Amino acid sequence: MTKRSSQVLMAEGLARTEQVTAAVEACYDALAVDDSEPVAHCLLAHLLLEGDFYDEAIAEATKAIELDPDCSPAYLALGLAYDRRGGMWDQSVLVWHELAEVVPDLVTAHVQLGEAFGAAQFEEEAIDSWKCALELDPKEPRAIYNLAIAALKREGMATALPGFRKAGELDPSQDDLFFALLGIKSVSDRPVDPAKVREDRSSRLGAAALAARADDLFVTAELVRMVLDEDPDDADALALAAFAYLKQEATNEAMACALRAIALKPDLATALYTLGVVYSRRAGLSKHAARVFIVFTRAASQHALAHVLLAESLLGLQRYGQAKKAYRVAIRLDPACVRARFGLAAVHLTEGLHAEADWEVRRAAYYDTRRQGSFWRLYDHYSEGGAS
Amino acid sequence: MSAKKKQAAEVAEPVIVRQADFPVGIDVYPLDEERRGWADWYDRDVEPEFAALAEARVWLVRIFVSWKYFEPQVGQYDEEAAGRLDAIMDAARSHDLKVLVSLFADDRLAEMTDVPWGKRRDPRTDDYLIQREVSLAQRIVNRYRAEPVVWGWELANEAFCTGFTSEADLERWTATLRDAVREVDSEHPILLGVDPETLFRTTGVDPRAAIDLNEYAISHVTAPYRVYAAEGPVTSGPATYLDGFLLRAAARDLPVIVDGVGVQSLDFSLSEEAAAVRTSLYSALMNGASGVMVRRYRDLETEKREPYFRDPFEVLVGVADIEGEPKPSLGEIKRFARVVARIDRRRYQSAPECVGVLIPAERYESLPSLAGLYGPRACLQSYIGAKEAHLPVDVLREGDELGAYHALFVPSAMKLGATTWHEIASFVQGGGSIVVSYGGGDTDPAVREIFGVEFLGDHGVRRTVSCRVAQPGALGDLRSFDARLKLPHFALLGHGGATVVATDATGSPLLTVNQYGQGKAVFIATPIERALAQGDPWAAPLVVRDLLRTVYGSVARAAGAGPIVDCDTPEVEVAVFMGEEDDIVVVLNHAPEAVTATLSVERMVAGVADARGGQLTEVGGKVFGVPLSANGASALRLTYT
Amino acid sequence: MGIEDAHRLYEAFVEQDPAEAIRVVEDVRASGVAQAQLFDTLYVPAMALLGGAWASGEIDEIVFTQASVIAEQIGSFVVPPAARQDTGVTLVIGTMQRDHHTVGKDIIAAALKESGYRVNDLGLDVRPAEFLERIEQTGARIVIVCAEMLSVAHSVVRVREMLTTGGHEDIVVLVAGSPFDADPALARSVGANGVLHGAESALRVVGKAATDLSGGEAS
Repeated sequence: MTKRSSQVLMAEGLARTEQVTAAVEACYDALAVDDSEPVAHCLLAHLLLEGDFYDEAIAEATKAIELDPDCSPAYLALGLAYDRRGGMWDQSVLVWHELAEVVPDLVTAHVQLGEAFGAAQFEEEAIDSWKCALELDPKEPRAIYNLAIAALKREGMATALPGFRKAGELDPSQDDLFFALLGIKSVSDRPVDPAKVREDRSSRLGAAALAARADDLFVTAELVRMVLDEDPDDADALALAAFAYLKQEATNEAMACALRAIALKPDLATALYTLGVVYSRRAGLSKHAARVFIVFTRAASQHALAHVLLAESLLGLQRYGQAKKAYRVAIRLDPACVRARFGLAAVHLTEGLHAEADWEVRRAAYYDTRRQGSFWRLYDHYSEGGAS
Repeated sequence: MSAKKKQAAEVAEPVIVRQADFPVGIDVYPLDEERRGWADWYDRDVEPEFAALAEARVWLVRIFVSWKYFEPQVGQYDEEAAGRLDAIMDAARSHDLKVLVSLFADDRLAEMTDVPWGKRRDPRTDDYLIQREVSLAQRIVNRYRAEPVVWGWELANEAFCTGFTSEADLERWTATLRDAVREVDSEHPILLGVDPETLFRTTGVDPRAAIDLNEYAISHVTAPYRVYAAEGPVTSGPATYLDGFLLRAAARDLPVIVDGVGVQSLDFSLSEEAAAVRTSLYSALMNGASGVMVRRYRDLETEKREPYFRDPFEVLVGVADIEGEPKPSLGEIKRFARVVARIDRRRYQSAPECVGVLIPAERYESLPSLAGLYGPRACLQSYIGAKEAHLPVDVLREGDELGAYHALFVPSAMKLGATTWHEIASFVQGGGSIVVSYGGGDTDPAVREIFGVEFLGDHGVRRTVSCRVAQPGALGDLRSFDARLKLPHFALLGHGGATVVATDATGSPLLTVNQYGQGKAVFIATPIERALAQGDPWAAPLVVRDLLRTVYGSVARAAGAGPIVDCDTPEVEVAVFMGEEDDIVVVLNHAPEAVTATLSVERMVAGVADARGGQLTEVGGKVFGVPLSANGASALRLTYT
Repeated sequence: MGIEDAHRLYEAFVEQDPAEAIRVVEDVRASGVAQAQLFDTLYVPAMALLGGAWASGEIDEIVFTQASVIAEQIGSFVVPPAARQDTGVTLVIGTMQRDHHTVGKDIIAAALKESGYRVNDLGLDVRPAEFLERIEQTGARIVIVCAEMLSVAHSVVRVREMLTTGGHEDIVVLVAGSPFDADPALARSVGANGVLHGAESALRVVGKAATDLSGGEAS
């Protein structure tokens, strides 16, 4: 285990709880005692990076690496600082290359390496890096999106769209959108027991939705059936049934239920969502999907992903200007929406705005890498003395 | 003669080709190809370049002296170098251009201050080398001091000055060189080509004392500063306000030239380059600059080095391509010069700024204090908020005189000095209005007194911004909302006499207003400007920006510090140059989409004409629309009934 | 076409009779309903009926699933035409000589192909004579010349000159690239008839040019 001073441990604790100001001071206290402690520099680099102070982060990460060339979290901080800063792609390529060698299973390193290669105009190397990332994690969304963008640059939108659709289908946050519409934020710890659910419509539908959230679709079906047995024209129950069918890849059943729900309640967001998703997965129905999603965004206007779904359907119709507007709304609502950032990058490319497109891709990386929290994984491994 | 033609004839004035009171200039570098060496210093005929510049109505060119080329051996001056400088002066003279001579500059390519006999001593601090610099400066100044073609002397540029490590060294060097120049030339203005904010950010050296020794100050956005303060698209968001902000921050007692106009990397399309140049030029004009300098004439032809083609140097991008073909940005300069030529400073005066964004002194603190890093970004957001409210806003620093202002904004400061609190108390008591946002930590006891709130700890909800309006209309047309924006702090406030105007979703006060003496004191319980800056300024929730703009606008207007010309579009900046019989209104669209801005004024407008001398369009009202293209600008002459 | 047809289709689904389902679609099509309308006018109401029947218990889960399989089978009969119809309009596109930028040209070319234009892509570094040659070979009356570099953009005038020399004054020359985005006067100065500001603009401008050309022929 790498020996850490009490000041460093203090800084670590503060940093983990996002008390940035105090953590930075604690790092300086640690360095006042011993400025040759790489973990202190590394931690400071991470904190400065979190504050978007890139030049300062680069200086500290570089010091950490000078003190210990095996300090993997410092490489991560350094690479991210170069990328977020922009304009330092050559240095960035070297850092990610190094980190990908040292921590070969770090998917982010390959994705970032690809983006640095791409920014330095090395498209082939970039594509290889993203493919490498997908070998490690076939669901890595940014690798898929980057490959879609690369396809767009070479062969146009028709070739890129399947990549966008694939990444969209793998996007777990789409389910979050559906459940957010029902007011459910997280998965419940306790499984739903249909026998214990109160025998009224509201309780049954609530429990059915919770069961769907926990992927217990049989329970959902059972509870929905109870509601429909009492009122076959219950649009909310039909919408939930449609979603449950969609989750089981039974798209025609999903469509049938959603269409029936919409016939009963034309602006029901949950039914519109499922119907739009079904349409968007079928070739030739882009126009129908767009039509549904236009109504859906009105019903779910505060949800970024609703606007993304609309935008993606508009891409299929070559309505890039309208797609751009929808993506922009999505980004205003959720700046961290990687899917919207890449979509907007694609639209910018169709308009010949390369710098704007690059910016959106970089921004997607910014939010995605912040969300991943890989720094602490590498830091803990390093500070515990594991082979870096 | 028809009525329209008659009106046109009335507005027609003699065309002023170039405006000496507001120099429009450009840097012409010694080397335009990276493969060239230091000995190729201006080894080309600059005449065609100067002809193109004169045609584009450029008035001033900055050229850069190479010490290395002029003094290859100690005390021996190269005749060839003198000949090339003569040729430059001749070319400038023949095209009626003025020359700003930069004596000690680093362009990171031509090795201009890297004298081989210097033996690695620092030319900024070594007495012997400074003595040699004095000799060279006097030699050159003496040779051209009587030449009308010379406009002024720049002692050094910022790239050279980043080598200084202390204020004292910088001040000493500047004073020595300035005295040396003044010994032989008592007339031409002298300047030090550094921006007080960007140099401090890069080096930790505060150059204000050294700048103040001269006749002009400089403001410019350097590439690293842009990365720090406004990294993102150049044709929207904070990037488009950065020139104006730095200009305001640099403007103290000296006239300021906005330097380094133009984009810093070759990534941008020609239209983005043109839009960025246009935005910077008009920002300069609208925010009180005394001239502008564009960053480069010709694109630098970079080496196609394997494996990387990108170049880290910042001064790569010009207004002509590597073959000398004028780019659209040169056209922008020409159009701008025509506007400037029509705004005679003796006839039109800028509307006074009576709203101030205060940069706290903690900005000068170094790490581990994060205040020095957070501060400028928060102040930039505050400045943007004030601009979006169309307020006549200035930037001042803690310790500056407050008397000239009617409204003050103190954005997200962690702390202010005791004297400052005392001055703020007097300011508000005397009728000034202030908006302070909580910046974290304990609050000063003065907050209780001035703002009428009791600080109960930094424990409010931070994951989102929620606003629930308790007193509609108390601070403008505020709306309730919930938005996704992480807040660094949220002060819980107890009642101390202030009116709670809005709360968060849990009922904790978000906005309070307190009548203190004759003035109003508004407290925002969270560092809203810092949150906007540290979030994603290009994707900030519009409702939060609306909140800030509404509060600022309402407070300033109530304090009598509202705009002379109001506008309905936040992204459109408006500046007014007031004349005796007519005014010139300059408008700039900070958004990359076309808009039609509706302007409104107090007086009845008879007609509006293009300030460059177009036909008068009758208005006959107090409200009129101005169509603006994406990042477009327009200068209008307003006549009144 | 009315709700009766949707009922017939629904019945065919429930009866698991794909042949009957196809017959219904063909009957409706024969009654004059366009392919692009079949989905909305026939399939959607039939599927809603199916959903309603399942909700009311009229059909059980197994029948619902089996009916859905039939619905899937005839899906291809009712889906609107996937690709846009061939417009019959031939275009020539290429990046001007001494320019090696591909992305903008490729995106525009792909968008036009997807919209049914017959696109002849000459690639990069294309000499004016090559544009002329391909126009003469294909009979194209619209040519799109891409240029991302300023000096190259100025040289696009050589394409217009070459066309004029070759007796093709009436060819519509459209230009694309950032120099033309930045300076609207540039396109006019090189003899272009219009500027394409990206893919969507290309669809719009080319569409208009094609309409104008066909209108010209008609008159």
